[in-house]
This record gives sequence, structure tokens and C-alpha cells, in this order.
Amino acid sequence: MPRQGSMPAVPWHDPCLGQAMSDMERRTTTLRVLLVDSDGERAAAVTQGLAMAGCTVVAVSAGIDDLVQRVRDTGAEVIVCRLDDPSRDELEGMRALHRDEPRPVVLFTEKAVPEQIEAALEAGVAAYVVEGMAPARVRPVMEVAIRRFRAHRKLQQELAAARNDLAERKLVDRAKALLMRRDRLSEPEAYRRLRRMAMDGRKRLGVVAASLLQENRAS
Amino acid sequence: MPLDSDSPLRPALKRPVLRTLRIGCMPLTDAAPLLVAEELGLFDSVGLRVTLSLEASWAAIRDKLAFGALDAAHLLAPLPLALAAGLDGVQAKLTVAAGIGANGNTITLSRALAQALGRFAPPLAAGAFARLVRQRAAAGEKALILAVAFPYSSDHYLLRHWLAAGGLDPDRDLRLVTVPPPMMAQRLQDGLIDGFCAGEPWGSQAAALGLGTIALSSGDIWPNHPEKVLAFDAGYAAQDPESAIACTAALIAAARWLEEPANQAAAVRILQRRAFPGFAAPTIAAAFDGTAQGLPQAAPLRFRTATLPRREQAAWFLRQMRRWGHVPAELANSAALAPWRPDIWRAAATRLREVEPPIASRPPADLPGTA
Repeated sequence: MPRQGSMPAVPWHDPCLGQAMSDMERRTTTLRVLLVDSDGERAAAVTQGLAMAGCTVVAVSAGIDDLVQRVRDTGAEVIVCRLDDPSRDELEGMRALHRDEPRPVVLFTEKAVPEQIEAALEAGVAAYVVEGMAPARVRPVMEVAIRRFRAHRKLQQELAAARNDLAERKLVDRAKALLMRRDRLSEPEAYRRLRRMAMDGRKRLGVVAASLLQENRAS
Repeated sequence: MPLDSDSPLRPALKRPVLRTLRIGCMPLTDAAPLLVAEELGLFDSVGLRVTLSLEASWAAIRDKLAFGALDAAHLLAPLPLALAAGLDGVQAKLTVAAGIGANGNTITLSRALAQALGRFAPPLAAGAFARLVRQRAAAGEKALILAVAFPYSSDHYLLRHWLAAGGLDPDRDLRLVTVPPPMMAQRLQDGLIDGFCAGEPWGSQAAALGLGTIALSSGDIWPNHPEKVLAFDAGYAAQDPESAIACTAALIAAARWLEEPANQAAAVRILQRRAFPGFAAPTIAAAFDGTAQGLPQAAPLRFRTATLPRREQAAWFLRQMRRWGHVPAELANSAALAPWRPDIWRAAATRLREVEPPIASRPPADLPGTA
């Protein structure tokens, strides 16, 4: 384990605390971190700092073109990036353009930043580790970030599922109306016909409804 | 470097406490009004104490503004819309007091891609680009990767509009990625991207390094489109409206100064020293000259006519965000556009006897599929 004097300053670097944690503990509780840093020297220092806080840096990435693949290969649980790293915008782009949210992002700052920035924790997606934070607090911040991230993603998935259900119901209603009009069926008859088509074709009701509407439009 | 002598900047009147206004900006040519205002002492002359910081990423500027580490910023015009909507988990109330720059982005393609397109005179037609994309797809080649500076940027939405006008689906026929402008040339060189749309001087720099060819300018897609804004944290602007007005006045004065051809060389020197060390002066000057790779641009970078923040122009970006599904459907137009405050601009302009610029050109017609 390197001595403090041999390392560049890292906000949460505290060798004593690192040593206090037994190897056994570290093996069982270590967090797998993917570090995104465009500066190699600093990345090395941050890696050591994270190790002191009970985290294992499983990969360091400068260009993040392959980030999704990297996360998959390394099994990283959380992405750590400096607030002022130019790669930040690439992380944002991935999220916004491709809806790729592989892992929660924890940002840290070297310069003093007002306390309000901790409010970013509330944002649900990213969390901030502020300068001078004791190593004992790095892990909890990351764990909170991971919890919030999972809760946020669950919410998004539920929302998407609800939207899908609604869209599907609308399609089924329209397909029903089409059958009633075209084949002069009653509403229950039309619904039964749709259901039979779905069962025969082993397809979802919504899919059958959509293709029926499309065929009708094409003809 | 004399200021307009007939319209001296009046010092700000009463202000609660003279505290330092913290403004962030990105290293782009259109940050010039802020850099110039600081260099020429225009902030001092309106009685403001300002620290202007060059930031490394739009995400950092956004977060610092949203969480109180900055009071104001040079911001991408669509970014206040994203913050009003709370996209990506970050929500903030902003006050847009002025526009910074019209036009000024270039679409720069790798030399290999430009060669594959054959000979063309800029602006490259969207249809010609789309044909190449389809040919590549038919031949089983991998999809082209184009980079933009940030998801909520005019570069992104104008590029999407251009691609869609050529009949392409930007989400299916290509891969769009985000790369900070200072890293664009390197990514072109490494073959990680095939082209990019970003603010100057990054396109001219890639061309000067022999890494890219400028195919068209953003002003070719929407002539005189709004580009950046001066946005305040809404709490700051509400608490200290006098400072917001004074800062806007300094920005208008800087835009006037920049538009004087006699000041251009000095402006280039300021940018070179403050934001682009190591860049050749002609690379920075191209945007001021209104040229791209030596050819005149139809709608070059403009400052003075762009300072009035127009809500109806921002609405075009909001429509694009809706079209591409980037904002939730339930977001009301009025809420998203509320940050635009032309009244602050008018209060500042009155002090400088700055007349309202003529209505800029209309945005391009919406493509099918736009709500």
C-alpha cells in the first residue's frame, strides 16, 4: 500500500482508514468501479484513492466510445467521473441519445464547490462526491447513487410499460371498431375474433390489432 | 479600442451588495462577447464585478448553474428548455436575458468521407449525403458516426433537421454521438467519428490540420438561427435584476464592438490568448470573416443582430425536441419557454440606445412528423 506522501492529493485519500479494513472485508464488499478520466496520471491517483475507500477500479476509460461494452465486460457497478472532465458530455450524450444508461454516474470535484451541489444527489441519476469528503463517506455516497439509480430506472420502466399498455389498448379498440364496421360484428364478437387471431398466430393482442389496422390501410 | 462614444454605458444604479457575478463559458468563438466584455472592461463600466471561467464541458456548466456554483453562463439555446423539463434528472429555473451569436457551426466531414462523396461545392446537399448513406448500407458497410457537442444543442437539432430533410432517420440510419468540441479533431484523426457538427473554431481547426473538410455551415440549414444565450440562474436574476440588466448591457456593448470590422484583429487576439492558445490567427478569424475553408458562408456568425432573445425562435428548438421524443409530451410550451425574457434585454438596450434588431429569418419549415 503506497504511503500518502508518494501520492498526489486525492480528496478522500486516507491510508489509515484503508488499512483498517481487512482484506477479507474488502473482498466481500468491494464496489466495482469504472473510472472515466482523460488524464492518465490523475486516473492513477484516483484509482488508489478509490481503493482506500473500499472500491475496486475494474477499468479506466478515456475515450468512452466502447463504454457500454466495457461495463458489460468488467461488471462495473458504478461509473466515476470528475465534474470537470471533458468526457462528461460524452456520458451525457450516451444517456440522452441512445437511452443507454448502463450504470449510475458518480461525479467528484477537486475544487471547492458550494454545498448545494450535493443537492444533485436528489436528481436521482448522478451523485456528487465533494472535495474533502472522508473515505468513510465515499462508499455511502456511491451506494446511495446506485440505489437511487435503480429506483429511477424502475420508475422509468414502469412508466414505459404503462405507456405501452395504454397504446396497446387504444390499438385494440381501433381494431375492434374496424371489425365491427367492416364485418358488422357486435363488440364482444369483434373482441373474440381478435383474441382468436392472436391465439392462432401466437402473437400479442396489440400486435394483431396493429397489423389488422395496417392491412386495412394498405387495401 | 473605443466604445461607441454616442452611447456610453451608464453605470448600474442601485444594487443591494456588490458581489461577484460568476459566469461560465465554453471555449468557442461565440463566447467572444463575454471574453471581450471582460477584456475591454465593459463589465467594470456597468459596475459589475465578474469572474469569467472557461469550463470543460456543457454538462459541467449546466450542473454548476443548476446547483449554484455559477450565477450565469454562455449556454446552448436549447439547454434552458431541457432544464425547464428536468431532462436527465437535472431541473433548473433559468432566466434568458440575451442571445449570444447567430449561426457559427460547421458540419465537418473526415477526408475519407468527403472523398467518398465526390466533388461538391459547399453547402453539401442533404440528398447527396443521404444517397451515400444508403449506398453504404446497401453495400453492408457500417453506419456512419457523426458527433455533436451536446444533446441539447442547436448543432444537434439542426444536423438532425438536415439529415431528415435528406430522407434519413438520424436514429436508425446513422449513429449520433456526443464529443466535446476540443476533442473532435482528435476523434476524426483516430477514425472514431466520420464527421461532426460543432461551433467554430473547431471545424476550421480540423480543416487547417488537414483532418476534415467543411461540408456546410449551420446557417445554410436555418439562416441566422439563434445559437447560444446568456442565461442567469432565475433566483439570481429575480434577487438582483439590476445586475442582470447591467450584464446584458455589457454583452450588447461587446456585440457592437465585435461587429466593427476595425476591431476584428483585436478580437482574434483576445480569443487566441484567452481560449485558443496554439491556434493560428487565420483559423480563429475565419468565423469573423464569414468564411469556411476560404469560401464565403451564406449566413456567417453574427453577434449584434442576435442579442435579442426571441421566444418564438426558441420554440423551433422545442418543436424539434418534441419531434424526436426528447421531451415528455406533457411539457407545456409556456413552461418550457418561460425562461426567455426579452424585457430584460429591452431594459438593457434602452440604456445603450440599441434599437431592436429586425426580425431574423424564419426557421425552416417543419418536416413531416413534427407535432
